[in-house]
Amino acid sequence: MSDLKIVAQDLYGRSPMRRLMPLWWALGLTALFVVSILGMNLNIARIIEGGDRLVVMLGQMFPPDFSILGRIIGPAIETLYVAILGTFLGVVFSIVIGVLAAHNITPHVTVEIALKGFSAFTRAVPALIWALLFIVAVGLGPLPGILALAVNSIGMLGKVFAESIEEIDKGQIEAVAATGATPLQIISKAIIPSVTPALVSWSLFRLDINIRYSAVLGVVGAGGIGIELVRSTRMLAFDETLTITLLIFVMVWAVEYVNNKIRAFIR
Amino acid sequence: MSEGVLEYTRKNLIRRRRIARLIIFGFTVAVLVSAHGTGFRIRDLYRGIPNIIQFLTEDLLPPRFSVWRRFLGPTMETIAMSYAGTFLSVVFAAPLGFLAARNVSPSPVVMQVARAIAVFMRTIPPIVWALLLVSIVGIGPFAGTIALGLSGAGMLIKSYADSIEDIDAGQIEAVRATGAGTFAVMMKGVVPQFSPSFVSWSLYRFDLNIRSAAVVGLVGAGGLGFSLSTAVRLFRYQEAAVAILWILGLILAIEFVTAKLRGHLI
Repeated sequence: MSDLKIVAQDLYGRSPMRRLMPLWWALGLTALFVVSILGMNLNIARIIEGGDRLVVMLGQMFPPDFSILGRIIGPAIETLYVAILGTFLGVVFSIVIGVLAAHNITPHVTVEIALKGFSAFTRAVPALIWALLFIVAVGLGPLPGILALAVNSIGMLGKVFAESIEEIDKGQIEAVAATGATPLQIISKAIIPSVTPALVSWSLFRLDINIRYSAVLGVVGAGGIGIELVRSTRMLAFDETLTITLLIFVMVWAVEYVNNKIRAFIR
Repeated sequence: MSEGVLEYTRKNLIRRRRIARLIIFGFTVAVLVSAHGTGFRIRDLYRGIPNIIQFLTEDLLPPRFSVWRRFLGPTMETIAMSYAGTFLSVVFAAPLGFLAARNVSPSPVVMQVARAIAVFMRTIPPIVWALLLVSIVGIGPFAGTIALGLSGAGMLIKSYADSIEDIDAGQIEAVRATGAGTFAVMMKGVVPQFSPSFVSWSLYRFDLNIRSAAVVGLVGAGGLGFSLSTAVRLFRYQEAAVAILWILGLILAIEFVTAKLRGHLI
Protein backbone atom coordinates (compact mmCIF):
# COMPACT_ATOMS: atom_id res chain seq x y z
CA MET A 1 0.00 0.00 0.00
CA SER A 2 1.40 3.38 -0.91
CA ASP A 3 2.06 6.11 1.63
CA LEU A 4 -0.56 8.39 0.16
CA LYS A 5 -3.17 5.65 0.47
CA ILE A 6 -2.45 5.08 4.15
CA VAL A 7 -2.80 8.77 4.89
CA ALA A 8 -5.86 9.13 2.68
CA GLN A 9 -7.62 6.13 4.23
CA ASP A 10 -7.00 7.43 7.69
CA LEU A 11 -8.45 10.81 6.78
CA TYR A 12 -11.44 9.14 5.13
CA GLY A 13 -12.57 7.72 8.44
CA ARG A 14 -13.36 11.19 9.72
CA SER A 15 -16.28 13.48 8.92
CA PRO A 16 -15.74 15.68 5.83
CA MET A 17 -15.49 18.85 7.92
CA ARG A 18 -12.86 17.44 10.28
CA ARG A 19 -11.06 15.64 7.50
CA LEU A 20 -10.48 18.87 5.63
CA MET A 21 -9.75 20.97 8.74
CA PRO A 22 -6.01 21.47 8.02
CA LEU A 23 -6.96 22.47 4.48
CA TRP A 24 -9.47 25.09 5.72
CA TRP A 25 -6.84 26.54 8.02
CA ALA A 26 -4.24 26.66 5.26
CA LEU A 27 -6.69 28.32 2.86
CA GLY A 28 -7.87 30.86 5.42
CA LEU A 29 -4.37 31.81 6.54
CA THR A 30 -3.16 32.10 2.94
CA ALA A 31 -6.14 34.31 2.05
CA LEU A 32 -5.28 36.53 5.03
CA PHE A 33 -1.69 36.75 3.75
CA VAL A 34 -2.86 37.84 0.31
CA VAL A 35 -5.18 40.45 1.86
CA SER A 36 -2.31 41.77 4.03
CA ILE A 37 0.01 42.14 1.07
CA LEU A 38 -2.66 43.74 -1.15
CA GLY A 39 -3.59 46.16 1.62
CA MET A 40 -0.08 47.63 1.69
CA ASN A 41 -0.50 49.85 -1.41
CA LEU A 42 2.63 48.40 -2.91
CA ASN A 43 4.56 50.15 -5.61
CA ILE A 44 4.84 47.07 -7.82
CA ALA A 45 7.12 48.72 -10.37
CA ARG A 46 9.54 49.73 -7.61
CA ILE A 47 9.57 46.19 -6.19
CA ILE A 48 10.17 44.56 -9.57
CA GLU A 49 12.97 47.05 -10.10
CA GLY A 50 14.26 45.78 -6.73
CA GLY A 51 15.38 42.58 -8.45
CA ASP A 52 17.89 44.52 -10.53
CA ARG A 53 18.92 46.59 -7.52
CA LEU A 54 19.52 43.41 -5.53
CA VAL A 55 21.86 42.13 -8.23
CA VAL A 56 23.72 45.46 -8.35
CA MET A 57 23.87 45.62 -4.55
CA LEU A 58 25.22 42.08 -4.23
CA GLY A 59 27.77 42.92 -6.91
CA GLN A 60 28.92 45.94 -4.93
CA MET A 61 28.95 44.02 -1.65
CA PHE A 62 31.59 41.56 -2.81
CA PRO A 63 34.36 41.68 -1.97
CA PRO A 64 33.62 43.32 1.42
CA ASP A 65 35.86 46.29 2.16
CA PHE A 66 37.92 45.20 5.15
CA SER A 67 40.10 48.31 5.00
CA ILE A 68 37.48 50.14 7.09
CA LEU A 69 37.93 47.75 10.02
CA GLY A 70 40.38 50.13 11.70
CA ARG A 71 37.78 52.90 11.59
CA ILE A 72 34.77 50.85 12.74
CA ILE A 73 36.46 48.94 15.54
CA GLY A 74 36.01 51.94 17.88
CA PRO A 75 32.23 52.14 17.35
CA ALA A 76 32.04 48.35 17.63
CA ILE A 77 33.70 48.44 21.04
CA GLU A 78 31.39 51.27 22.10
CA THR A 79 28.47 49.04 21.12
CA LEU A 80 29.78 46.34 23.47
CA TYR A 81 30.27 48.88 26.26
CA VAL A 82 26.74 50.20 25.88
CA ALA A 83 25.29 46.68 26.01
CA ILE A 84 27.31 45.78 29.11
CA LEU A 85 26.48 49.00 31.00
CA GLY A 86 22.81 48.90 29.99
CA THR A 87 22.56 45.31 31.21
CA PHE A 88 24.45 46.10 34.42
CA LEU A 89 22.21 49.05 35.35
CA GLY A 90 19.15 47.06 34.33
CA VAL A 91 20.17 44.17 36.59
CA VAL A 92 20.92 46.43 39.58
CA PHE A 93 17.58 48.24 39.39
CA SER A 94 15.72 45.02 38.61
CA ILE A 95 17.01 43.35 41.77
CA VAL A 96 15.57 46.20 43.83
CA ILE A 97 12.31 46.12 41.87
CA GLY A 98 12.15 42.32 42.02
CA VAL A 99 12.55 42.28 45.80
CA LEU A 100 9.93 45.02 46.32
CA ALA A 101 7.47 43.57 43.78
CA ALA A 102 7.59 39.86 44.71
CA HIS A 103 4.22 38.94 46.18
CA ASN A 104 5.64 36.97 49.14
CA ILE A 105 7.99 39.68 50.46
CA THR A 106 6.61 42.98 49.11
CA PRO A 107 6.27 45.69 51.78
CA HIS A 108 2.76 46.49 50.55
CA VAL A 109 0.47 45.24 47.84
CA THR A 110 0.18 48.71 46.25
CA VAL A 111 3.99 48.75 45.87
CA GLU A 112 3.76 45.37 44.16
CA ILE A 113 1.05 46.52 41.74
CA ALA A 114 2.79 49.84 40.97
CA LEU A 115 6.16 48.18 40.28
CA LYS A 116 4.68 45.35 38.22
CA GLY A 117 2.74 47.89 36.19
CA PHE A 118 5.92 49.91 35.69
CA SER A 119 7.81 46.81 34.49
CA ALA A 120 5.00 45.90 32.12
CA PHE A 121 5.16 49.39 30.62
CA THR A 122 8.97 49.53 30.22
CA ARG A 123 8.90 46.03 28.74
CA ALA A 124 6.16 46.72 26.21
CA VAL A 125 7.76 49.85 24.74
CA PRO A 126 10.55 48.57 22.46
CA ALA A 127 14.20 49.42 23.27
CA LEU A 128 14.73 51.49 20.13
CA ILE A 129 11.76 53.69 20.96
CA TRP A 130 13.20 54.29 24.43
CA ALA A 131 16.44 55.26 22.70
CA LEU A 132 14.58 57.67 20.43
CA LEU A 133 13.06 59.36 23.49
CA PHE A 134 16.27 59.43 25.53
CA ILE A 135 18.15 61.05 22.68
CA VAL A 136 15.73 63.94 22.81
CA ALA A 137 15.89 64.04 26.61
CA VAL A 138 19.65 63.71 27.29
CA GLY A 139 21.30 64.37 23.92
CA LEU A 140 23.43 62.25 21.61
CA GLY A 141 26.27 59.88 22.52
CA PRO A 142 26.32 56.55 24.36
CA LEU A 143 24.24 57.74 27.35
CA PRO A 144 20.76 57.56 25.72
CA GLY A 145 21.58 54.05 24.49
CA ILE A 146 22.70 52.91 27.93
CA LEU A 147 19.56 54.35 29.53
CA ALA A 148 17.28 52.86 26.86
CA LEU A 149 18.73 49.37 27.30
CA ALA A 150 18.64 49.70 31.09
CA VAL A 151 14.98 50.78 31.12
CA ASN A 152 13.90 48.09 28.65
CA SER A 153 15.88 45.46 30.62
CA ILE A 154 14.17 46.50 33.86
CA GLY A 155 10.84 45.64 32.25
CA MET A 156 11.90 42.08 31.57
CA LEU A 157 14.27 41.39 34.47
CA GLY A 158 12.09 43.08 37.12
CA LYS A 159 9.30 40.71 36.16
CA VAL A 160 11.35 37.50 36.05
CA PHE A 161 13.29 38.35 39.24
CA ALA A 162 10.04 38.95 41.11
CA GLU A 163 8.68 35.67 39.73
CA SER A 164 11.75 33.69 40.79
CA ILE A 165 11.53 35.18 44.30
CA GLU A 166 7.85 34.19 44.40
CA GLU A 167 8.86 30.61 43.62
CA ILE A 168 11.15 30.35 46.66
CA ASP A 169 10.27 27.72 49.24
CA LYS A 170 8.45 29.52 52.08
CA GLY A 171 10.22 27.36 54.67
CA GLN A 172 13.60 28.85 53.85
CA ILE A 173 12.44 32.39 54.55
CA GLU A 174 10.67 31.33 57.75
CA ALA A 175 13.72 29.42 58.96
CA VAL A 176 15.92 32.48 58.62
CA ALA A 177 13.21 34.75 60.06
CA ALA A 178 12.91 32.40 63.07
CA THR A 179 16.54 33.14 64.00
CA GLY A 180 15.47 36.75 64.59
CA ALA A 181 16.96 38.07 61.34
CA THR A 182 16.14 41.60 60.17
CA PRO A 183 14.37 42.04 56.80
CA LEU A 184 17.70 42.96 55.18
CA GLN A 185 19.32 39.82 56.60
CA ILE A 186 16.41 37.72 55.36
CA ILE A 187 16.95 39.11 51.88
CA SER A 188 20.71 38.55 51.90
CA LYS A 189 20.69 35.13 53.59
CA ALA A 190 17.49 33.43 52.45
CA ILE A 191 16.36 35.10 49.26
CA ILE A 192 19.48 36.11 47.35
CA PRO A 193 21.21 32.68 47.61
CA SER A 194 18.19 30.76 46.36
CA VAL A 195 17.51 33.04 43.39
CA THR A 196 21.15 33.56 42.34
CA PRO A 197 21.22 30.87 39.61
CA ALA A 198 18.01 32.16 38.02
CA LEU A 199 19.20 35.75 38.38
CA VAL A 200 22.54 35.09 36.71
CA SER A 201 21.01 33.04 33.94
CA TRP A 202 18.37 35.67 33.12
CA SER A 203 20.91 38.50 33.27
CA LEU A 204 23.15 36.69 30.79
CA PHE A 205 20.16 36.08 28.54
CA ARG A 206 19.39 39.80 28.71
CA LEU A 207 22.99 40.68 27.79
CA ASP A 208 22.46 38.52 24.75
CA ILE A 209 19.36 40.53 23.80
CA ASN A 210 21.01 43.85 24.63
CA ILE A 211 24.01 43.30 22.36
CA ARG A 212 21.57 42.87 19.48
CA TYR A 213 19.78 46.11 20.36
CA SER A 214 23.01 47.93 21.05
CA ALA A 215 24.26 47.07 17.57
CA VAL A 216 21.27 48.84 16.01
CA LEU A 217 20.88 51.79 18.40
CA GLY A 218 22.81 53.90 15.90
CA VAL A 219 19.88 53.58 13.53
CA VAL A 220 18.02 56.12 15.64
CA GLY A 221 21.22 58.13 16.24
CA ALA A 222 22.36 56.71 19.57
CA GLY A 223 25.98 55.85 18.79
CA GLY A 224 27.87 52.63 18.21
CA ILE A 225 28.30 50.46 15.15
CA GLY A 226 24.71 51.10 14.01
CA ILE A 227 25.59 54.65 12.92
CA GLU A 228 28.30 53.30 10.63
CA LEU A 229 25.83 50.83 9.19
CA VAL A 230 23.23 53.49 8.38
CA ARG A 231 25.90 55.83 6.98
CA SER A 232 27.24 53.15 4.63
CA THR A 233 23.79 52.31 3.25
CA ARG A 234 22.99 56.00 2.75
CA MET A 235 26.25 56.42 0.82
CA LEU A 236 25.48 53.25 -1.15
CA ALA A 237 28.88 51.90 -0.07
CA PHE A 238 27.59 48.34 0.15
CA ASP A 239 31.06 46.79 0.38
CA GLU A 240 31.35 48.65 3.71
CA THR A 241 27.80 47.64 4.67
CA LEU A 242 28.73 43.97 4.29
CA THR A 243 31.87 44.37 6.44
CA ILE A 244 29.85 46.11 9.17
CA THR A 245 27.06 43.51 8.99
CA LEU A 246 29.64 40.73 9.30
CA LEU A 247 31.22 42.49 12.29
CA ILE A 248 27.79 42.78 13.97
CA PHE A 249 27.22 39.10 13.23
CA VAL A 250 30.55 38.16 14.83
CA MET A 251 29.89 40.32 17.91
CA VAL A 252 26.39 38.97 18.51
CA TRP A 253 27.56 35.43 17.89
CA ALA A 254 30.59 35.81 20.19
CA VAL A 255 28.48 37.13 23.08
CA GLU A 256 26.01 34.28 22.54
CA TYR A 257 28.87 31.76 22.54
CA VAL A 258 30.48 33.07 25.75
CA ASN A 259 27.05 33.25 27.40
CA ASN A 260 26.25 29.65 26.53
CA LYS A 261 29.59 28.55 28.01
CA ILE A 262 28.92 30.42 31.25
CA ARG A 263 25.33 29.19 31.44
CA ALA A 264 26.45 25.59 30.90
CA PHE A 265 28.94 26.08 33.75
CA ILE A 266 26.23 27.40 36.10
CA ARG A 267 23.97 24.47 35.35
CA MET B 1 32.49 6.84 49.88
CA SER B 2 36.19 6.33 49.41
CA GLU B 3 38.81 8.93 50.16
CA GLY B 4 39.55 9.32 46.48
CA VAL B 5 35.98 10.26 45.58
CA LEU B 6 35.80 12.75 48.44
CA GLU B 7 39.08 14.27 47.38
CA TYR B 8 37.81 14.48 43.81
CA THR B 9 34.56 16.19 44.85
CA ARG B 10 36.48 18.62 47.03
CA LYS B 11 38.89 19.51 44.22
CA ASN B 12 36.00 19.86 41.81
CA LEU B 13 34.19 22.22 44.18
CA ILE B 14 37.31 24.33 44.62
CA ARG B 15 37.79 24.40 40.86
CA ARG B 16 34.18 25.46 40.27
CA ARG B 17 34.44 28.17 42.90
CA ARG B 18 37.63 29.42 41.28
CA ILE B 19 35.94 29.61 37.85
CA ALA B 20 32.92 31.36 39.40
CA ARG B 21 35.25 33.96 40.97
CA LEU B 22 36.98 34.40 37.64
CA ILE B 23 33.66 35.01 35.88
CA ILE B 24 32.56 37.56 38.52
CA PHE B 25 35.95 39.27 38.29
CA GLY B 26 35.66 39.30 34.49
CA PHE B 27 32.25 40.95 34.61
CA THR B 28 33.34 43.55 37.15
CA VAL B 29 36.27 44.48 34.93
CA ALA B 30 33.99 44.55 31.87
CA VAL B 31 31.57 46.95 33.60
CA LEU B 32 34.37 49.24 34.80
CA VAL B 33 36.08 49.27 31.40
CA SER B 34 32.75 50.00 29.72
CA ALA B 35 32.03 52.86 32.11
CA HIS B 36 35.50 54.28 31.43
CA GLY B 37 35.22 53.78 27.68
CA THR B 38 31.86 55.52 27.34
CA GLY B 39 32.65 58.23 29.90
CA PHE B 40 29.68 57.08 31.94
CA ARG B 41 29.40 58.44 35.48
CA ILE B 42 26.85 57.57 38.11
CA ARG B 43 26.09 61.29 38.36
CA ASP B 44 24.93 61.17 34.72
CA LEU B 45 22.00 59.20 36.06
CA TYR B 46 20.72 61.80 38.50
CA ARG B 47 21.89 64.73 36.39
CA GLY B 48 19.92 63.29 33.50
CA ILE B 49 16.75 62.92 35.55
CA PRO B 50 15.75 66.64 35.46
CA ASN B 51 16.22 66.63 31.67
CA ILE B 52 14.10 63.53 31.36
CA ILE B 53 11.37 64.95 33.59
CA GLN B 54 11.43 68.24 31.70
CA PHE B 55 11.14 66.37 28.40
CA LEU B 56 8.27 64.28 29.73
CA THR B 57 6.26 67.11 31.22
CA GLU B 58 6.92 69.88 28.72
CA ASP B 59 7.38 68.13 25.38
CA LEU B 60 5.86 64.67 25.45
CA LEU B 61 2.86 65.18 27.69
CA PRO B 62 -0.03 65.59 27.36
CA PRO B 63 -0.43 63.45 24.24
CA ARG B 64 -2.33 65.25 21.50
CA PHE B 65 -5.14 62.74 21.35
CA SER B 66 -6.94 64.65 18.61
CA VAL B 67 -4.60 63.08 16.04
CA TRP B 68 -5.34 59.48 17.08
CA ARG B 69 -7.20 58.78 13.85
CA ARG B 70 -4.07 59.47 11.82
CA PHE B 71 -2.44 56.33 13.26
CA LEU B 72 -5.28 54.01 12.33
CA GLY B 73 -3.83 53.31 8.85
CA PRO B 74 -0.26 52.74 10.11
CA THR B 75 -1.62 50.42 12.83
CA MET B 76 -3.33 48.28 10.20
CA GLU B 77 -0.13 48.38 8.18
CA THR B 78 1.90 47.18 11.19
CA ILE B 79 -0.51 44.28 11.74
CA ALA B 80 -0.42 43.40 8.03
CA MET B 81 3.41 43.50 8.01
CA SER B 82 3.62 41.31 11.09
CA TYR B 83 1.16 38.78 9.78
CA ALA B 84 2.58 38.61 6.25
CA GLY B 85 6.13 38.41 7.70
CA THR B 86 5.10 35.58 10.02
CA PHE B 87 3.36 33.75 7.17
CA LEU B 88 6.47 33.96 4.99
CA SER B 89 8.76 32.75 7.76
CA VAL B 90 6.46 29.85 8.67
CA VAL B 91 6.20 28.71 5.03
CA PHE B 92 9.96 29.01 4.62
CA ALA B 93 10.92 27.54 7.99
CA ALA B 94 8.60 24.52 8.10
CA PRO B 95 10.47 22.43 5.49
CA LEU B 96 13.87 23.67 6.66
CA GLY B 97 12.94 22.83 10.25
CA PHE B 98 12.51 19.19 9.24
CA LEU B 99 15.81 19.23 7.38
CA ALA B 100 17.56 20.77 10.41
CA ALA B 101 16.23 18.24 12.95
CA ARG B 102 18.77 15.53 13.71
CA ASN B 103 16.25 12.70 14.01
CA VAL B 104 14.43 13.24 10.70
CA SER B 105 17.04 15.04 8.56
CA PRO B 106 18.01 13.11 5.42
CA SER B 107 21.73 13.67 6.07
CA PRO B 108 24.05 15.36 8.60
CA VAL B 109 25.37 17.68 5.88
CA VAL B 110 21.84 18.92 5.05
CA MET B 111 21.20 19.39 8.75
CA GLN B 112 24.33 21.50 9.24
CA VAL B 113 23.56 23.63 6.19
CA ALA B 114 19.96 24.26 7.34
CA ARG B 115 21.20 25.17 10.83
CA ALA B 116 23.84 27.52 9.43
CA ILE B 117 21.22 29.32 7.32
CA ALA B 118 19.09 29.70 10.45
CA VAL B 119 21.96 31.12 12.52
CA PHE B 120 22.79 33.63 9.82
CA MET B 121 19.21 34.83 9.38
CA ARG B 122 18.41 35.27 13.03
CA THR B 123 21.75 36.67 14.24
CA ILE B 124 21.43 39.70 11.98
CA PRO B 125 18.89 41.95 13.74
CA PRO B 126 15.59 42.55 11.87
CA ILE B 127 16.26 46.27 11.63
CA VAL B 128 19.51 45.59 9.74
CA TRP B 129 17.60 43.42 7.29
CA ALA B 130 15.07 46.25 6.99
CA LEU B 131 17.83 48.79 6.31
CA LEU B 132 19.22 46.64 3.48
CA LEU B 133 15.78 45.89 2.06
CA VAL B 134 14.77 49.55 2.07
CA SER B 135 17.78 50.15 -0.21
CA ILE B 136 16.56 47.37 -2.50
CA VAL B 137 12.76 47.66 -2.71
CA GLY B 138 12.36 51.23 -1.47
CA ILE B 139 10.67 52.77 1.55
CA GLY B 140 7.43 51.11 2.65
CA PRO B 141 5.91 48.12 4.42
CA PHE B 142 7.06 45.59 1.83
CA ALA B 143 10.70 46.00 2.94
CA GLY B 144 9.56 45.54 6.54
CA THR B 145 7.56 42.42 5.69
CA ILE B 146 10.52 40.73 4.02
CA ALA B 147 12.84 41.78 6.87
CA LEU B 148 10.48 40.25 9.46
CA GLY B 149 10.11 37.17 7.27
CA LEU B 150 13.87 36.63 7.10
CA SER B 151 14.72 37.09 10.76
CA GLY B 152 11.58 35.18 11.78
CA ALA B 153 12.50 32.25 9.56
CA GLY B 154 15.91 32.11 11.24
CA MET B 155 14.33 31.75 14.65
CA LEU B 156 11.59 29.36 13.55
CA ILE B 157 13.92 26.93 11.75
CA LYS B 158 15.82 26.50 14.99
CA SER B 159 12.71 26.27 17.19
CA TYR B 160 10.93 23.85 14.85
CA ALA B 161 14.04 21.66 14.56
CA ASP B 162 14.55 21.62 18.33
CA SER B 163 10.90 20.63 18.93
CA ILE B 164 11.08 17.88 16.29
CA GLU B 165 14.21 16.55 17.96
CA ASP B 166 12.31 16.39 21.25
CA ILE B 167 9.51 14.17 19.97
CA ASP B 168 9.11 10.57 21.08
CA ALA B 169 11.12 8.27 18.78
CA GLY B 170 8.93 5.30 19.76
CA GLN B 171 5.95 6.65 17.82
CA ILE B 172 8.04 7.09 14.68
CA GLU B 173 9.33 3.52 15.07
CA ALA B 174 5.80 2.22 15.55
CA VAL B 175 4.57 3.85 12.33
CA ARG B 176 7.66 2.66 10.47
CA ALA B 177 7.11 -0.88 11.74
CA THR B 178 3.76 -1.00 9.90
CA GLY B 179 5.77 -0.79 6.67
CA ALA B 180 4.97 2.85 6.03
CA GLY B 181 7.24 4.88 3.74
CA THR B 182 8.95 8.16 4.55
CA PHE B 183 5.94 10.33 3.71
CA ALA B 184 3.52 8.33 5.85
CA VAL B 185 6.05 8.23 8.71
CA MET B 186 6.25 12.03 8.59
CA MET B 187 2.48 12.53 8.41
CA LYS B 188 1.51 9.96 11.03
CA GLY B 189 4.59 9.70 13.26
CA VAL B 190 6.14 13.15 13.30
CA VAL B 191 3.52 15.76 12.39
CA PRO B 192 0.93 14.90 15.07
CA GLN B 193 3.55 15.18 17.80
CA PHE B 194 5.08 18.32 16.35
CA SER B 195 1.92 20.31 15.62
CA PRO B 196 1.32 21.77 19.12
CA SER B 197 4.83 23.24 19.29
CA PHE B 198 4.53 24.32 15.66
CA VAL B 199 1.42 26.35 16.46
CA SER B 200 2.90 27.65 19.68
CA TRP B 201 6.19 28.84 18.15
CA SER B 202 4.47 30.36 15.14
CA LEU B 203 2.09 32.35 17.35
CA TYR B 204 5.01 33.46 19.51
CA ARG B 205 6.78 34.69 16.40
CA PHE B 206 3.71 36.70 15.40
CA ASP B 207 3.79 38.27 18.84
CA LEU B 208 7.48 39.16 18.46
CA ASN B 209 6.87 40.48 14.95
CA ILE B 210 4.36 43.05 16.22
CA ARG B 211 7.15 44.45 18.40
CA SER B 212 9.72 44.30 15.59
CA ALA B 213 7.26 45.75 13.07
CA ALA B 214 6.79 48.79 15.27
CA VAL B 215 10.57 49.24 15.23
CA VAL B 216 11.62 48.42 11.65
CA GLY B 217 9.45 51.37 10.63
CA LEU B 218 12.08 53.65 12.18
CA VAL B 219 14.31 53.03 9.14
CA GLY B 220 11.47 53.73 6.73
CA ALA B 221 9.93 50.27 6.50
CA GLY B 222 6.36 51.45 7.07
CA GLY B 223 3.82 51.10 9.85
CA LEU B 224 3.63 52.81 13.23
CA GLY B 225 7.42 53.03 13.61
CA PHE B 226 7.60 55.19 10.51
CA SER B 227 4.85 57.51 11.80
CA LEU B 228 6.65 57.71 15.14
CA SER B 229 10.04 58.57 13.69
CA THR B 230 8.44 61.15 11.39
CA ALA B 231 6.70 62.81 14.36
CA VAL B 232 9.97 62.88 16.34
CA ARG B 233 11.91 64.27 13.40
CA LEU B 234 9.37 67.09 13.05
CA PHE B 235 9.66 67.75 16.82
CA ARG B 236 5.95 66.95 17.21
CA TYR B 237 6.49 65.13 20.47
CA GLN B 238 2.88 65.23 21.61
CA GLU B 239 1.92 63.38 18.42
CA ALA B 240 4.83 61.00 19.00
CA ALA B 241 3.34 60.28 22.43
CA VAL B 242 0.08 59.20 20.76
CA ALA B 243 2.04 56.95 18.38
CA ILE B 244 3.83 55.35 21.35
CA LEU B 245 0.50 54.74 23.08
CA TRP B 246 -0.81 53.12 19.89
CA ILE B 247 2.26 50.87 19.74
CA LEU B 248 1.88 49.98 23.41
CA GLY B 249 -1.82 49.24 23.03
CA LEU B 250 -1.25 47.16 19.91
CA ILE B 251 1.52 45.09 21.52
CA LEU B 252 -0.59 44.39 24.61
CA ALA B 253 -3.69 43.59 22.54
CA ILE B 254 -1.84 41.14 20.29
CA GLU B 255 -0.16 39.54 23.31
CA PHE B 256 -3.63 39.00 24.81
CA VAL B 257 -5.09 37.62 21.57
CA THR B 258 -2.20 35.20 20.90
CA ALA B 259 -2.35 33.95 24.50
CA LYS B 260 -6.09 33.25 24.06
CA LEU B 261 -5.52 31.59 20.69
CA ARG B 262 -2.74 29.43 22.09
CA GLY B 263 -4.96 28.26 24.91
CA HIS B 264 -7.74 27.53 22.43
CA LEU B 265 -5.67 25.70 19.80
CA ILE B 266 -3.40 23.54 21.95
